[in-house]
Amino acid sequence: MAAAPPVLRVRNLTVEFATDAGIVRAVDDVSFDVAGDETVALVGESGCGKTVTGLSLLRLVPEPPGRYAGGSIELAGRDLLALPGEALPAIRGRDVAMIFQEPMTALNPVFTIGTQMADVLRQHRGLSRSKARAEAAAMLAAVNIPDPDRRLDDYPHQLSGGMRQRVMIAMALSCRPRLLVADEPTTALDVTTQAQVLAEFRRLQQEFRTAVILVTHDLGVVAETCTRAIVMYCGSIVESGPTAELFRHPRHPYTRGLLESVPRVRAERLPELPVIPGRVPDPGRLPAGCRFADRCSRVQSRCRDARPPLQPVGAGVPVSVACFNPW
Amino acid sequence: MPIAQYALRKLLAGIPLVIGVTLVSFALMVYFGPDRTYELLGKNPTEEQIAEVRSQLGYDRPFAERYAGFLREVVTFDFGYAATGEPVATLLARTVPVSLLLILPGFVLGHLVSLGLALLAAYWRGRVADRLIMALATVGMSVSFVIVMIGFQIVFGSSDWLGWFPVRGWSTDSVGEYLRYIAVPTLATMFVAIGYDTRFYRALVAEEMTRDHVRTARAYGIPEARIFTRNILKNCLIPVITRVMFSIPSVAVGGSLLIESYFGIPGVGRATYEAIITGDQPVLKAVVTLTAILFVLVVILNDILYRVVDPRVSLE
Repeated sequence: MAAAPPVLRVRNLTVEFATDAGIVRAVDDVSFDVAGDETVALVGESGCGKTVTGLSLLRLVPEPPGRYAGGSIELAGRDLLALPGEALPAIRGRDVAMIFQEPMTALNPVFTIGTQMADVLRQHRGLSRSKARAEAAAMLAAVNIPDPDRRLDDYPHQLSGGMRQRVMIAMALSCRPRLLVADEPTTALDVTTQAQVLAEFRRLQQEFRTAVILVTHDLGVVAETCTRAIVMYCGSIVESGPTAELFRHPRHPYTRGLLESVPRVRAERLPELPVIPGRVPDPGRLPAGCRFADRCSRVQSRCRDARPPLQPVGAGVPVSVACFNPW
Repeated sequence: MPIAQYALRKLLAGIPLVIGVTLVSFALMVYFGPDRTYELLGKNPTEEQIAEVRSQLGYDRPFAERYAGFLREVVTFDFGYAATGEPVATLLARTVPVSLLLILPGFVLGHLVSLGLALLAAYWRGRVADRLIMALATVGMSVSFVIVMIGFQIVFGSSDWLGWFPVRGWSTDSVGEYLRYIAVPTLATMFVAIGYDTRFYRALVAEEMTRDHVRTARAYGIPEARIFTRNILKNCLIPVITRVMFSIPSVAVGGSLLIESYFGIPGVGRATYEAIITGDQPVLKAVVTLTAILFVLVVILNDILYRVVDPRVSLE
């Protein structure tokens, strides 16, 4: 599986935001690779830094208030963080594309679908107006939108949420990017549409052979679509590994808590849904030791003194975990 | 044709508005307006003379009857004769085109330049250019229009200063003459308009910049300058159109009144001003009616333009 060379190599990525309460680290020393044929999930609660990490892959974090405080993001051998700002438009949409959470607002309400898709195609592939339109129609057909030629002249408000998200996917894949970042692409859709869009997504990913990073809090989506998952907590990676292994044997207490708190169909109704006790610490006042210590059932005294590094668990299992006392 | 249908329906709906405006302004004119009687009679008139003139002017008849007469004039578009003896229709035909030629260039250029400056300021937000533009806007907003006009007259008109343009009078004999006469009024209008409009437009652009679709455009490699001049600009057009359209009546009446009296230009603003001073009711009635109709037309045009720029708007 890991035979393909990595398309994306993130090393020690650190992103800070200037807020009224001082500098806040939204992403703290995050490193991971994504190979050309992988679908990798970035999982965690809201505020864990997964979306900021996703945006960083296109260098889309607004600067200011954001700031890339360190690390590198190598996409196809080029470090995005070292490039001058003027070089970014040529990469965005062509080498790396992004799908956003809200299909309602992510498309421009006053331009037709066709215009918006053609804009991207003309920008990156230098197509003529008519060629770009034909290509846009072909892309809509590829994402199974019926009657694509007519849909091109529709405005976003004339389409349903699922359709809009398909349009976003079509637009994202239209320039054959090496990497696709999808930020909660199905969260705003209802459940049946969600399943359709996910199925579409998976099929297209194989067809276009694009590496995908799926930013989500939905473990169901992760289980269905991702080969590998990276669990984030308070801006850092706490555990990463193949999805199947992670779900079967979660090693970090946070991963385990996250899995247990997923509502699911059970034979017996539990008196209460299990939740992780306590709260996410204030990002402005993080503890010196493990950031999960206060909520952890397996906490030891050393957890409060030092932060556990992310380390491979060994024994031939391709899982890394940042815990002194893993399961 | 739904647009024509819509316009017609709105026109009909505008009738009560026109009636309301004429009623209120007529009441104000009758009860608080200047009385031409004493102007016509001079000093020490007798009771009989007063009564005679009042009856000539129709002041002695009941309000309802006089208002009904006014409405008849509105419907037939015949407002009778001005105090000078000139038919009101002729007076308007003479003065309205002058005012339009005077006001339009400054009005259009003022909004266009403001919008351009607002886009530049937002594009360079937080930088020196942004601060300079906004400082200029604050100056334009803070200085009274009257002061600006007098200042510009001195700077551009006085031979001690630049002395480039005439600052009194009017001519449309040739395009060159016309441009020379409108130069200073246009610059003064633009200066003040830029003050108010740039701030407003920059706030619009800044708000639009935070929208998700702008981030999407950025994520797909659309160059920043293009995002501003196309994606953001088109989304800002609805409030821009509203502001432009709704400033037409006030500029057409208030703006032209001030400019024409300061630059000695024979437009409808000055004619209105003189009619107010002398109590020339036929002229006032015509101007009030025309302004009300202009307002109704502006509202209709406004809605139709919405439909043109924003596909989400339906004319229902």
